[in-house]
Amino acid sequence: MTETSHGRVLDLNMHLLDRQVVDRDGRFVCKVDDVELERGADGAMYVAKILIGPRALGPRFRGRLGVWVRAIAERLSTDPIPTIDFAVVEDIGSAVKLSASLDDLRVAPLEDWVRDHIVSRVPGSRHASE
Amino acid sequence: MRASDLIGRDVVRADGTAVGVVTDLRCVQDGPVRGAHASLRIDALLVSRHHVGSLLGYDRRKRQGPWLIRVIVRYLHRHMQVVPWADVVSEGPPVRLRG
Repeated sequence: MTETSHGRVLDLNMHLLDRQVVDRDGRFVCKVDDVELERGADGAMYVAKILIGPRALGPRFRGRLGVWVRAIAERLSTDPIPTIDFAVVEDIGSAVKLSASLDDLRVAPLEDWVRDHIVSRVPGSRHASE
Repeated sequence: MRASDLIGRDVVRADGTAVGVVTDLRCVQDGPVRGAHASLRIDALLVSRHHVGSLLGYDRRKRQGPWLIRVIVRYLHRHMQVVPWADVVSEGPPVRLRG
């Protein structure tokens, strides 16, 4: 990663993919499994979103392993692939730091469901550990 | 389009001759403001004959050690080219370059 007079220069595969993503409070959010590119009004391609989960990661594996990972993940969920808009990316270093809170991102629907429907009903779950 | 759609894709010239395979996408943070910062613009493709070892970064960092691995990976990637995105006519597959 280098800085030039035109802006910071980084290589997507080496400096962004597979990096850990943390929220504004330093809590672990996910890993960068892939990124979505979109064409701007000027015709150039820009990084638009971080893609998360096995359905994003699967196609990155070549061959049969990629096909299996993708097929299993697609059977488990038909919801859209969770994403994080690049607008909330604050910094890219050894980790990708966001300006948003994990609670607002809703990137782990299964984890959210378990917390709301199961863990919250466990006696004592609303008390901080002592 | 995803980054992974381009990484690993074959690159050919307009006349069909092979150039190599995309090993990485070089970005410059000089695009329109998105959130609080400039967007990352795809500036160039890193194109090599091999995919092996590219992710380790030895093909780009001059002083990364251990030296033996650095020498081997840099030898494998001695033909690596930085192809400006402006030269890409079609994302493919395969990626087609002008001229």
